[in-house]
Amino acid sequence: MNRFKIFRNLVVPVISFSALIGLWELIILWGHVQGYLAPTPLAAWEAISSNWSTLWPLTSWTIKETVWGFGAGAVIGILFGVLMSKLRFLQRSLYPVLVVTQAVPIVAIASPLVLLMGFNLGPKVVIVAWIVFFPVTVNVLDGLNHVDHDLITLARVLGARPWRTFFLIEVPATITPLFSGLKIGATYAVTGAVIGEMAASSGQSLALYQHTQIGQLNSAGVYGTTILMTAIGMSWFLLMITLEHLCTPWLRRSVARRWSRGARTLDNTYVVKGAK
Amino acid sequence: MRVPNSELLTLVDVTKRFGTTQALSPTSLSIERGSFVSIVGPSGCGKSTLFNILSGLLLPDGGEVAVGGKSVVGSTGHAGYMLQKDLLVPWRTVLGNITLGAALTGRVTEEDRRQATSFATRYGLGDFLRHYPGSLSGGMRQRVALMRTLALNTELLLLDEPFGALDAQTRFEMQQWLLSVWRDSQRTVLFITHDVDEAVFLSDRVLVMSPRPGRIVDDVEVAITRPRTLATLTETDFTTIKARILRQLHRDAESLS
Repeated sequence: MNRFKIFRNLVVPVISFSALIGLWELIILWGHVQGYLAPTPLAAWEAISSNWSTLWPLTSWTIKETVWGFGAGAVIGILFGVLMSKLRFLQRSLYPVLVVTQAVPIVAIASPLVLLMGFNLGPKVVIVAWIVFFPVTVNVLDGLNHVDHDLITLARVLGARPWRTFFLIEVPATITPLFSGLKIGATYAVTGAVIGEMAASSGQSLALYQHTQIGQLNSAGVYGTTILMTAIGMSWFLLMITLEHLCTPWLRRSVARRWSRGARTLDNTYVVKGAK
Repeated sequence: MRVPNSELLTLVDVTKRFGTTQALSPTSLSIERGSFVSIVGPSGCGKSTLFNILSGLLLPDGGEVAVGGKSVVGSTGHAGYMLQKDLLVPWRTVLGNITLGAALTGRVTEEDRRQATSFATRYGLGDFLRHYPGSLSGGMRQRVALMRTLALNTELLLLDEPFGALDAQTRFEMQQWLLSVWRDSQRTVLFITHDVDEAVFLSDRVLVMSPRPGRIVDDVEVAITRPRTLATLTETDFTTIKARILRQLHRDAESLS
Protein backbone atom coordinates (compact mmCIF):
# COMPACT_ATOMS: atom_id res chain seq x y z
CA MET A 1 0.00 0.00 0.00
CA ASN A 2 1.35 3.39 -0.89
CA ARG A 3 1.27 6.40 1.39
CA PHE A 4 -1.79 7.91 -0.18
CA LYS A 5 -3.85 4.76 0.33
CA ILE A 6 -2.76 4.49 3.97
CA PHE A 7 -3.84 8.09 4.46
CA ARG A 8 -7.15 7.55 2.71
CA ASN A 9 -8.04 4.29 4.41
CA LEU A 10 -6.82 4.91 7.96
CA VAL A 11 -6.23 8.56 8.65
CA VAL A 12 -9.43 9.92 7.13
CA PRO A 13 -11.79 7.67 9.17
CA VAL A 14 -9.89 8.53 12.35
CA ILE A 15 -10.27 12.25 11.63
CA SER A 16 -14.00 12.03 10.92
CA PHE A 17 -14.52 9.88 14.00
CA SER A 18 -12.63 12.36 16.19
CA ALA A 19 -14.65 15.21 14.72
CA LEU A 20 -17.86 13.41 15.68
CA ILE A 21 -16.70 13.02 19.30
CA GLY A 22 -15.56 16.65 19.37
CA LEU A 23 -18.97 17.76 18.14
CA TRP A 24 -20.66 15.72 20.87
CA GLU A 25 -18.47 17.37 23.54
CA LEU A 26 -19.20 20.86 22.17
CA ILE A 27 -22.99 20.33 22.02
CA ILE A 28 -23.07 19.24 25.67
CA LEU A 29 -20.85 22.10 26.84
CA TRP A 30 -22.32 24.95 24.78
CA GLY A 31 -25.89 23.75 25.19
CA HIS A 32 -25.50 23.59 28.97
CA VAL A 33 -27.00 20.10 28.96
CA GLN A 34 -27.36 18.78 32.50
CA GLY A 35 -25.11 15.84 33.33
CA TYR A 36 -28.03 13.50 34.19
CA LEU A 37 -29.62 14.05 30.76
CA ALA A 38 -26.54 13.32 28.65
CA PRO A 39 -22.85 13.08 29.46
CA THR A 40 -19.83 14.47 27.66
CA PRO A 41 -17.78 11.82 25.85
CA LEU A 42 -15.08 12.27 28.48
CA ALA A 43 -17.53 11.51 31.29
CA ALA A 44 -18.80 8.44 29.42
CA TRP A 45 -15.23 7.27 29.00
CA GLU A 46 -14.56 7.78 32.72
CA ALA A 47 -17.68 5.77 33.55
CA ILE A 48 -16.17 2.89 31.58
CA SER A 49 -12.60 3.10 32.85
CA SER A 50 -13.42 3.60 36.54
CA ASN A 51 -15.84 0.64 36.51
CA TRP A 52 -13.74 -1.58 34.28
CA SER A 53 -13.46 -4.40 36.84
CA THR A 54 -17.28 -4.63 36.89
CA LEU A 55 -17.79 -4.00 33.18
CA TRP A 56 -15.17 -6.32 31.70
CA PRO A 57 -16.82 -9.60 32.87
CA LEU A 58 -20.15 -8.34 31.49
CA THR A 59 -18.55 -7.28 28.23
CA SER A 60 -16.73 -10.58 27.83
CA TRP A 61 -20.05 -12.37 28.45
CA THR A 62 -21.67 -10.40 25.64
CA ILE A 63 -18.67 -11.11 23.39
CA LYS A 64 -19.09 -14.81 24.16
CA GLU A 65 -22.75 -14.62 23.11
CA THR A 66 -21.82 -13.01 19.80
CA VAL A 67 -18.95 -15.47 19.17
CA TRP A 68 -21.22 -18.50 19.44
CA GLY A 69 -24.21 -16.80 17.87
CA PHE A 70 -22.28 -15.29 14.97
CA GLY A 71 -20.36 -18.51 14.39
CA ALA A 72 -23.52 -20.61 14.36
CA GLY A 73 -25.38 -18.05 12.23
CA ALA A 74 -22.56 -17.91 9.67
CA VAL A 75 -22.29 -21.70 9.41
CA ILE A 76 -26.06 -22.20 9.16
CA GLY A 77 -26.32 -19.30 6.70
CA ILE A 78 -23.65 -20.74 4.40
CA LEU A 79 -25.17 -24.22 4.65
CA PHE A 80 -28.66 -22.96 3.72
CA GLY A 81 -27.26 -20.87 0.86
CA VAL A 82 -25.28 -23.77 -0.62
CA LEU A 83 -28.04 -26.36 -0.21
CA MET A 84 -30.66 -24.04 -1.68
CA SER A 85 -28.51 -23.21 -4.71
CA LYS A 86 -27.85 -26.90 -5.35
CA LEU A 87 -31.35 -28.22 -4.73
CA ARG A 88 -33.98 -26.14 -6.49
CA PHE A 89 -36.93 -27.71 -4.66
CA LEU A 90 -35.30 -26.72 -1.38
CA GLN A 91 -34.92 -23.17 -2.65
CA ARG A 92 -38.61 -23.03 -3.53
CA SER A 93 -39.82 -24.59 -0.28
CA LEU A 94 -37.35 -23.13 2.21
CA TYR A 95 -36.89 -19.56 1.00
CA PRO A 96 -40.40 -18.37 2.02
CA VAL A 97 -39.97 -19.98 5.43
CA LEU A 98 -36.68 -18.16 5.93
CA VAL A 99 -38.31 -14.86 5.01
CA VAL A 100 -41.01 -15.53 7.60
CA THR A 101 -38.37 -16.07 10.30
CA GLN A 102 -37.12 -12.56 9.62
CA ALA A 103 -40.58 -11.01 9.61
CA VAL A 104 -41.18 -12.17 13.18
CA PRO A 105 -40.21 -9.29 15.50
CA ILE A 106 -37.02 -10.47 17.17
CA VAL A 107 -38.12 -9.02 20.54
CA ALA A 108 -41.21 -11.21 20.38
CA ILE A 109 -39.24 -14.42 20.05
CA ALA A 110 -36.87 -13.58 22.89
CA SER A 111 -39.35 -14.41 25.65
CA PRO A 112 -40.54 -17.75 24.20
CA LEU A 113 -36.88 -18.70 23.82
CA VAL A 114 -36.26 -17.95 27.48
CA LEU A 115 -39.17 -20.25 28.37
CA LEU A 116 -37.63 -22.95 26.22
CA MET A 117 -33.96 -22.56 27.04
CA GLY A 118 -33.65 -20.81 30.37
CA PHE A 119 -31.64 -17.80 31.47
CA ASN A 120 -28.17 -18.77 30.33
CA LEU A 121 -26.22 -18.50 27.09
CA GLY A 122 -28.75 -20.52 25.05
CA PRO A 123 -31.44 -18.00 24.04
CA LYS A 124 -28.89 -15.23 23.33
CA VAL A 125 -26.92 -17.46 20.99
CA VAL A 126 -30.09 -18.49 19.19
CA ILE A 127 -31.22 -14.88 18.75
CA VAL A 128 -27.83 -13.77 17.39
CA ALA A 129 -27.70 -16.73 15.01
CA TRP A 130 -31.31 -16.02 13.99
CA ILE A 131 -30.36 -12.50 12.91
CA VAL A 132 -26.97 -13.35 11.39
CA PHE A 133 -27.83 -16.34 9.21
CA PHE A 134 -30.34 -14.56 6.96
CA PRO A 135 -28.13 -11.99 5.18
CA VAL A 136 -25.49 -14.70 4.84
CA THR A 137 -27.93 -17.13 3.21
CA VAL A 138 -29.36 -14.53 0.84
CA ASN A 139 -25.92 -13.35 -0.30
CA VAL A 140 -24.41 -16.82 -0.67
CA LEU A 141 -27.45 -17.99 -2.63
CA ASP A 142 -27.32 -14.96 -4.92
CA GLY A 143 -23.58 -15.36 -5.33
CA LEU A 144 -23.79 -19.04 -6.26
CA ASN A 145 -26.71 -18.44 -8.61
CA HIS A 146 -24.77 -15.74 -10.45
CA VAL A 147 -21.42 -17.43 -11.01
CA ASP A 148 -20.32 -16.69 -14.60
CA HIS A 149 -22.00 -19.47 -16.54
CA ASP A 150 -19.17 -19.57 -19.10
CA LEU A 151 -16.74 -20.49 -16.31
CA ILE A 152 -18.93 -23.47 -15.41
CA THR A 153 -19.02 -24.45 -19.10
CA LEU A 154 -15.25 -24.10 -19.26
CA ALA A 155 -14.92 -26.43 -16.27
CA ARG A 156 -17.15 -28.96 -18.06
CA VAL A 157 -15.04 -28.73 -21.22
CA LEU A 158 -11.95 -29.33 -19.13
CA GLY A 159 -13.59 -32.55 -17.92
CA ALA A 160 -14.15 -31.39 -14.33
CA ARG A 161 -15.86 -33.39 -11.62
CA PRO A 162 -18.85 -31.50 -10.18
CA TRP A 163 -17.54 -31.10 -6.65
CA ARG A 164 -14.21 -29.80 -7.95
CA THR A 165 -16.02 -27.22 -10.03
CA PHE A 166 -17.80 -26.26 -6.82
CA PHE A 167 -14.65 -25.78 -4.76
CA LEU A 168 -12.36 -24.35 -7.45
CA ILE A 169 -14.82 -22.17 -9.38
CA GLU A 170 -18.07 -21.55 -7.51
CA VAL A 171 -16.73 -21.07 -3.98
CA PRO A 172 -14.03 -18.50 -4.87
CA ALA A 173 -16.55 -16.66 -7.05
CA THR A 174 -18.88 -16.37 -4.04
CA ILE A 175 -16.37 -15.00 -1.53
CA THR A 176 -17.29 -11.35 -2.08
CA PRO A 177 -21.08 -11.82 -1.64
CA LEU A 178 -20.42 -14.13 1.32
CA PHE A 179 -18.52 -11.37 3.07
CA SER A 180 -21.24 -8.84 2.24
CA GLY A 181 -23.62 -11.08 4.19
CA LEU A 182 -21.14 -11.61 7.02
CA LYS A 183 -20.51 -7.87 7.36
CA ILE A 184 -24.23 -7.13 7.66
CA GLY A 185 -24.52 -9.98 10.16
CA ALA A 186 -21.52 -8.70 12.12
CA THR A 187 -23.12 -5.33 12.80
CA TYR A 188 -26.42 -6.93 13.83
CA ALA A 189 -24.91 -9.63 16.05
CA VAL A 190 -24.46 -7.42 19.08
CA THR A 191 -28.01 -6.06 18.72
CA GLY A 192 -29.29 -9.62 18.96
CA ALA A 193 -27.17 -10.36 22.00
CA VAL A 194 -28.41 -7.26 23.82
CA ILE A 195 -32.05 -8.05 23.00
CA GLY A 196 -31.49 -11.50 24.46
CA GLU A 197 -29.96 -10.00 27.58
CA MET A 198 -32.87 -7.58 27.98
CA ALA A 199 -35.38 -10.40 27.78
CA ALA A 200 -33.81 -12.34 30.57
CA SER A 201 -30.50 -12.59 32.30
CA SER A 202 -29.49 -14.47 35.36
CA GLY A 203 -27.04 -12.40 37.37
CA GLN A 204 -25.35 -9.66 35.41
CA SER A 205 -25.17 -8.57 31.80
CA LEU A 206 -24.40 -5.35 29.92
CA ALA A 207 -28.09 -4.79 29.21
CA LEU A 208 -29.02 -5.27 32.86
CA TYR A 209 -26.15 -3.02 33.97
CA GLN A 210 -27.36 -0.30 31.65
CA HIS A 211 -30.87 -0.69 33.02
CA THR A 212 -29.56 -0.16 36.54
CA GLN A 213 -27.68 2.97 35.45
CA ILE A 214 -30.89 4.41 33.98
CA GLY A 215 -32.57 3.84 37.33
CA GLN A 216 -29.82 5.82 39.00
CA LEU A 217 -30.00 8.62 36.39
CA ASN A 218 -26.32 7.97 35.72
CA SER A 219 -26.21 9.07 32.08
CA ALA A 220 -22.44 8.56 31.87
CA GLY A 221 -22.86 4.90 32.82
CA VAL A 222 -25.69 4.47 30.29
CA TYR A 223 -23.71 5.99 27.44
CA GLY A 224 -20.56 4.16 28.50
CA THR A 225 -22.38 0.84 28.26
CA THR A 226 -23.68 1.76 24.81
CA ILE A 227 -20.15 2.58 23.71
CA LEU A 228 -18.96 -0.84 24.88
CA MET A 229 -21.77 -2.59 22.99
CA THR A 230 -20.96 -0.58 19.87
CA ALA A 231 -17.29 -1.46 20.19
CA ILE A 232 -18.13 -5.17 20.12
CA GLY A 233 -20.14 -4.72 16.89
CA MET A 234 -17.38 -2.65 15.30
CA SER A 235 -14.75 -5.24 16.21
CA TRP A 236 -16.75 -7.91 14.44
CA PHE A 237 -17.07 -5.72 11.38
CA LEU A 238 -13.34 -4.95 11.32
CA LEU A 239 -12.57 -8.64 11.74
CA MET A 240 -14.73 -9.45 8.71
CA ILE A 241 -13.07 -6.75 6.59
CA THR A 242 -9.65 -8.11 7.54
CA LEU A 243 -10.66 -11.68 6.71
CA GLU A 244 -12.13 -10.56 3.40
CA HIS A 245 -8.86 -8.83 2.50
CA LEU A 246 -6.90 -11.97 3.32
CA CYS A 247 -9.27 -14.18 1.30
CA THR A 248 -9.27 -12.06 -1.88
CA PRO A 249 -5.65 -11.12 -2.63
CA TRP A 250 -6.29 -11.07 -6.40
CA LEU A 251 -8.54 -8.02 -6.05
CA ARG A 252 -5.68 -5.85 -4.83
CA ARG A 253 -2.45 -7.50 -5.92
CA SER A 254 -1.06 -8.13 -9.37
CA VAL A 255 1.41 -10.79 -8.19
CA ALA A 256 0.58 -13.59 -5.77
CA ARG A 257 2.43 -13.74 -2.47
CA ARG A 258 5.04 -16.45 -2.16
CA TRP A 259 3.15 -18.38 0.49
CA SER A 260 -0.20 -18.46 -1.27
CA ARG A 261 -1.29 -21.81 -2.69
CA GLY A 262 -1.78 -20.59 -6.22
CA ALA A 263 1.69 -19.12 -6.24
CA ARG A 264 3.56 -22.41 -6.12
CA THR A 265 5.91 -22.42 -9.05
CA LEU A 266 8.67 -24.86 -9.74
CA ASP A 267 11.57 -22.80 -8.42
CA ASN A 268 9.74 -22.04 -5.23
CA THR A 269 8.79 -25.67 -4.67
CA TYR A 270 12.44 -26.53 -4.77
CA VAL A 271 13.24 -23.78 -2.30
CA VAL A 272 10.79 -25.35 0.14
CA LYS A 273 12.30 -28.78 -0.42
CA GLY A 274 15.82 -27.47 0.08
CA ALA A 275 14.84 -25.85 3.36
CA LYS A 276 13.75 -29.15 4.90
CA MET B 1 4.60 -39.26 -33.89
CA ARG B 2 2.83 -37.73 -36.85
CA VAL B 3 1.24 -40.45 -38.95
CA PRO B 4 0.75 -39.08 -42.45
CA ASN B 5 -2.66 -39.25 -44.05
CA SER B 6 -4.39 -40.73 -41.03
CA GLU B 7 -7.64 -39.28 -39.85
CA LEU B 8 -7.96 -37.96 -36.32
CA LEU B 9 -11.52 -36.71 -36.39
CA THR B 10 -14.43 -38.23 -38.28
CA LEU B 11 -18.00 -36.98 -38.44
CA VAL B 12 -20.72 -39.02 -40.11
CA ASP B 13 -24.13 -37.43 -40.74
CA VAL B 14 -24.07 -35.31 -37.60
CA THR B 15 -27.26 -33.24 -37.22
CA LYS B 16 -28.68 -30.84 -34.68
CA ARG B 17 -31.97 -29.01 -34.53
CA PHE B 18 -33.12 -26.38 -32.03
CA GLY B 19 -36.91 -26.32 -32.07
CA THR B 20 -37.82 -25.68 -35.67
CA THR B 21 -34.38 -24.38 -36.65
CA GLN B 22 -32.05 -26.79 -38.40
CA ALA B 23 -28.81 -25.63 -36.73
CA LEU B 24 -26.75 -28.27 -38.46
CA SER B 25 -27.96 -30.33 -41.39
CA PRO B 26 -26.39 -33.79 -41.81
CA THR B 27 -22.67 -33.12 -41.92
CA SER B 28 -19.88 -35.54 -42.69
CA LEU B 29 -16.27 -34.57 -42.38
CA SER B 30 -12.87 -35.98 -41.72
CA ILE B 31 -9.86 -34.10 -40.41
CA GLU B 32 -6.34 -35.30 -40.97
CA ARG B 33 -4.01 -35.76 -38.01
CA GLY B 34 -1.71 -32.77 -37.51
CA SER B 35 -3.54 -30.48 -39.88
CA PHE B 36 -4.77 -26.94 -39.35
CA VAL B 37 -8.35 -26.50 -40.54
CA SER B 38 -10.36 -23.27 -40.36
CA ILE B 39 -14.11 -22.84 -40.49
CA VAL B 40 -15.52 -19.55 -41.80
CA GLY B 41 -19.10 -18.47 -42.12
CA PRO B 42 -21.60 -15.81 -41.03
CA SER B 43 -23.18 -15.77 -37.58
CA GLY B 44 -25.78 -18.47 -37.09
CA CYS B 45 -24.29 -20.87 -39.62
CA GLY B 46 -23.80 -23.57 -37.00
CA LYS B 47 -20.05 -23.19 -36.40
CA SER B 48 -20.37 -23.00 -32.66
CA THR B 49 -23.02 -25.73 -32.61
CA LEU B 50 -20.57 -27.93 -34.46
CA PHE B 51 -17.84 -27.14 -31.92
CA ASN B 52 -20.16 -27.76 -28.97
CA ILE B 53 -20.98 -31.18 -30.41
CA LEU B 54 -17.32 -31.95 -31.08
CA SER B 55 -16.31 -31.00 -27.54
CA GLY B 56 -19.15 -33.06 -26.07
CA LEU B 57 -21.03 -30.12 -24.53
CA LEU B 58 -23.99 -30.75 -26.82
CA LEU B 59 -25.57 -34.01 -27.89
CA PRO B 60 -26.25 -34.28 -31.63
CA ASP B 61 -29.71 -35.43 -32.71
CA GLY B 62 -28.09 -38.01 -34.93
CA GLY B 63 -24.82 -39.12 -36.44
CA GLU B 64 -21.48 -40.24 -35.20
CA VAL B 65 -18.41 -38.34 -33.94
CA ALA B 66 -15.16 -40.23 -33.54
CA VAL B 67 -11.73 -39.09 -32.39
CA GLY B 68 -8.92 -41.49 -33.16
CA GLY B 69 -11.48 -44.10 -34.17
CA LYS B 70 -13.32 -43.95 -30.82
CA SER B 71 -16.86 -42.57 -30.52
CA VAL B 72 -16.96 -39.45 -28.33
CA VAL B 73 -20.62 -38.45 -28.63
CA GLY B 74 -21.68 -36.68 -25.42
CA SER B 75 -18.40 -37.15 -23.56
CA THR B 76 -16.01 -34.33 -22.67
CA GLY B 77 -12.27 -34.17 -22.12
CA HIS B 78 -11.13 -35.56 -25.50
CA ALA B 79 -10.63 -32.13 -27.05
CA GLY B 80 -9.11 -28.87 -25.90
CA TYR B 81 -11.76 -26.20 -26.45
CA MET B 82 -10.89 -22.52 -26.33
CA LEU B 83 -13.53 -19.82 -26.57
CA GLN B 84 -13.40 -16.21 -27.69
CA LYS B 85 -13.61 -15.04 -24.08
CA ASP B 86 -10.34 -16.04 -22.44
CA LEU B 87 -12.23 -17.12 -19.28
CA LEU B 88 -9.19 -16.93 -17.06
CA VAL B 89 -10.06 -17.52 -13.43
CA PRO B 90 -9.21 -14.26 -11.64
CA TRP B 91 -8.26 -15.88 -8.33
CA ARG B 92 -5.68 -18.22 -9.84
CA THR B 93 -2.24 -17.11 -10.98
CA VAL B 94 -1.01 -17.60 -14.56
CA LEU B 95 0.49 -20.93 -13.48
CA GLY B 96 -2.74 -21.83 -11.66
CA ASN B 97 -4.77 -21.04 -14.77
CA ILE B 98 -2.57 -23.09 -17.08
CA THR B 99 -2.88 -26.07 -14.73
CA LEU B 100 -6.63 -25.55 -14.16
CA GLY B 101 -7.55 -28.63 -16.19
CA ALA B 102 -5.39 -30.85 -13.99
CA ALA B 103 -6.79 -29.23 -10.84
CA LEU B 104 -10.37 -29.85 -11.97
CA THR B 105 -9.87 -33.47 -12.96
CA GLY B 106 -7.39 -34.74 -10.40
CA ARG B 107 -4.28 -33.45 -8.78
CA VAL B 108 -1.83 -30.86 -10.07
CA THR B 109 1.37 -32.87 -10.17
CA GLU B 110 4.95 -31.68 -10.29
CA GLU B 111 4.93 -32.74 -13.93
CA ASP B 112 1.91 -30.50 -14.66
CA ARG B 113 3.71 -27.54 -13.08
CA ARG B 114 6.88 -28.33 -14.98
CA GLN B 115 4.97 -28.47 -18.28
CA ALA B 116 3.08 -25.25 -17.52
CA THR B 117 6.30 -23.48 -16.58
CA SER B 118 7.98 -24.60 -19.77
CA PHE B 119 5.01 -23.44 -21.89
CA ALA B 120 5.03 -20.06 -20.20
CA THR B 121 8.77 -19.70 -20.50
CA ARG B 122 8.86 -20.74 -24.14
CA TYR B 123 6.01 -18.44 -25.10
CA GLY B 124 7.16 -15.31 -23.32
CA LEU B 125 5.22 -15.44 -20.07
CA GLY B 126 7.97 -16.92 -17.91
CA ASP B 127 8.17 -13.81 -15.73
CA PHE B 128 4.43 -13.76 -15.15
CA LEU B 129 3.85 -17.18 -13.57
CA ARG B 130 2.80 -15.74 -10.23
CA HIS B 131 0.77 -12.88 -11.71
CA TYR B 132 -2.99 -12.75 -11.41
CA PRO B 133 -4.81 -12.45 -14.79
CA GLY B 134 -6.14 -9.02 -13.80
CA SER B 135 -2.70 -7.56 -14.42
CA LEU B 136 -2.23 -9.02 -17.92
CA SER B 137 -2.93 -7.47 -21.33
CA GLY B 138 -5.54 -8.94 -23.70
CA GLY B 139 -2.91 -10.69 -25.83
CA MET B 140 -1.20 -12.17 -22.79
CA ARG B 141 -4.51 -13.40 -21.37
CA GLN B 142 -5.34 -15.08 -24.67
CA ARG B 143 -1.95 -16.77 -24.69
CA VAL B 144 -2.52 -18.09 -21.17
CA ALA B 145 -5.92 -19.40 -22.25
CA LEU B 146 -4.31 -21.23 -25.17
CA MET B 147 -1.61 -22.68 -22.89
CA ARG B 148 -4.37 -23.92 -20.57
CA THR B 149 -5.90 -25.65 -23.61
CA LEU B 150 -2.52 -27.09 -24.66
CA ALA B 151 -1.83 -28.33 -21.13
CA LEU B 152 -4.74 -30.77 -21.44
CA ASN B 153 -2.50 -32.72 -23.82
CA THR B 154 -5.34 -33.58 -26.16
CA GLU B 155 -4.43 -34.14 -29.79
CA LEU B 156 -7.42 -32.16 -31.00
CA LEU B 157 -7.71 -28.42 -30.33
CA LEU B 158 -10.95 -26.54 -31.00
CA LEU B 159 -10.36 -22.79 -31.12
CA ASP B 160 -13.51 -20.67 -31.40
CA GLU B 161 -12.49 -17.19 -32.61
CA PRO B 162 -9.70 -16.94 -30.08
CA PHE B 163 -8.36 -13.66 -31.49
CA GLY B 164 -11.69 -12.03 -32.28
CA ALA B 165 -11.42 -9.47 -29.49
CA LEU B 166 -7.84 -8.38 -30.17
CA ASP B 167 -6.61 -5.35 -32.13
CA ALA B 168 -5.13 -5.98 -35.60
CA GLN B 169 -1.49 -5.61 -34.55
CA THR B 170 -1.74 -8.01 -31.59
CA ARG B 171 -3.83 -10.30 -33.70
CA PHE B 172 -1.13 -10.74 -36.32
CA GLU B 173 1.45 -11.44 -33.62
CA MET B 174 -0.87 -13.99 -32.06
CA GLN B 175 -1.43 -15.72 -35.42
CA GLN B 176 2.33 -16.08 -35.92
CA TRP B 177 2.62 -17.34 -32.37
CA LEU B 178 -0.22 -19.85 -32.82
CA LEU B 179 1.48 -21.25 -35.91
CA SER B 180 4.72 -21.74 -34.01
CA VAL B 181 2.84 -23.45 -31.17
CA TRP B 182 1.07 -25.67 -33.67
CA ARG B 183 4.38 -26.56 -35.35
CA ASP B 184 6.07 -27.33 -31.99
CA SER B 185 3.26 -29.33 -30.47
CA GLN B 186 2.07 -31.19 -33.60
CA ARG B 187 -1.54 -30.93 -32.56
CA THR B 188 -4.55 -30.95 -34.84
CA VAL B 189 -6.32 -27.60 -34.88
CA LEU B 190 -9.89 -26.71 -35.82
CA PHE B 191 -10.20 -22.94 -35.91
CA ILE B 192 -13.36 -20.83 -36.17
CA THR B 193 -13.04 -17.28 -37.48
CA HIS B 194 -14.99 -14.53 -39.22
CA ASP B 195 -11.85 -13.28 -40.86
CA VAL B 196 -11.13 -14.85 -44.27
CA ASP B 197 -7.54 -13.53 -44.32
CA GLU B 198 -6.90 -15.16 -40.99
CA ALA B 199 -8.43 -18.46 -42.11
CA VAL B 200 -6.37 -18.69 -45.31
CA PHE B 201 -3.18 -17.45 -43.66
CA LEU B 202 -3.27 -20.07 -40.91
CA SER B 203 -4.77 -23.13 -42.52
CA ASP B 204 -4.10 -26.20 -44.62
CA ARG B 205 -7.77 -26.29 -45.40
CA VAL B 206 -10.73 -23.93 -45.06
CA LEU B 207 -14.34 -25.07 -44.63
CA VAL B 208 -16.99 -22.53 -45.61
CA MET B 209 -20.31 -22.79 -43.79
CA SER B 210 -23.68 -21.29 -44.58
CA PRO B 211 -26.80 -20.79 -42.44
CA ARG B 212 -30.44 -21.90 -42.72
CA PRO B 213 -29.83 -24.76 -42.59
CA GLY B 214 -26.29 -24.79 -41.17
CA ARG B 215 -24.06 -26.75 -43.54
CA ILE B 216 -20.62 -26.91 -45.12
CA VAL B 217 -20.83 -25.42 -48.63
CA ASP B 218 -17.18 -25.47 -49.66
CA ASP B 219 -13.99 -27.23 -48.71
CA VAL B 220 -10.89 -25.35 -49.89
CA GLU B 221 -7.35 -26.71 -49.90
CA VAL B 222 -4.70 -24.05 -49.09
CA ALA B 223 -1.57 -25.28 -50.82
CA ILE B 224 0.69 -22.41 -49.87
CA THR B 225 4.13 -23.27 -48.51
CA ARG B 226 5.02 -22.67 -44.91
CA PRO B 227 6.37 -20.77 -43.10
CA ARG B 228 4.04 -18.01 -44.21
CA THR B 229 4.95 -14.37 -43.74
CA LEU B 230 3.49 -10.93 -44.22
CA ALA B 231 4.37 -11.28 -47.94
CA THR B 232 2.10 -14.33 -48.19
CA LEU B 233 -0.92 -12.07 -47.74
CA THR B 234 -0.36 -10.46 -51.15
CA GLU B 235 0.65 -13.54 -53.17
CA THR B 236 -1.54 -14.59 -56.11
CA ASP B 237 -2.24 -18.04 -54.65
CA PHE B 238 -3.42 -16.41 -51.48
CA THR B 239 -5.69 -13.88 -53.16
CA THR B 240 -7.17 -16.51 -55.50
CA ILE B 241 -8.19 -18.71 -52.57
CA LYS B 242 -9.44 -15.71 -50.65
CA ALA B 243 -11.57 -14.63 -53.63
CA ARG B 244 -13.12 -18.09 -53.89
CA ILE B 245 -14.08 -18.13 -50.22
CA LEU B 246 -15.41 -14.57 -50.32
CA ARG B 247 -17.54 -15.48 -53.34
CA GLN B 248 -19.08 -18.35 -51.39
CA LEU B 249 -19.81 -16.15 -48.37
CA HIS B 250 -21.10 -13.35 -50.56
CA ARG B 251 -23.47 -15.60 -52.48
CA ASP B 252 -25.19 -16.37 -49.19
CA ALA B 253 -25.49 -12.71 -48.36
CA GLU B 254 -27.06 -12.00 -51.77
CA SER B 255 -29.53 -14.84 -51.52
CA LEU B 256 -30.68 -13.48 -48.17
CA SER B 257 -31.34 -9.94 -49.37
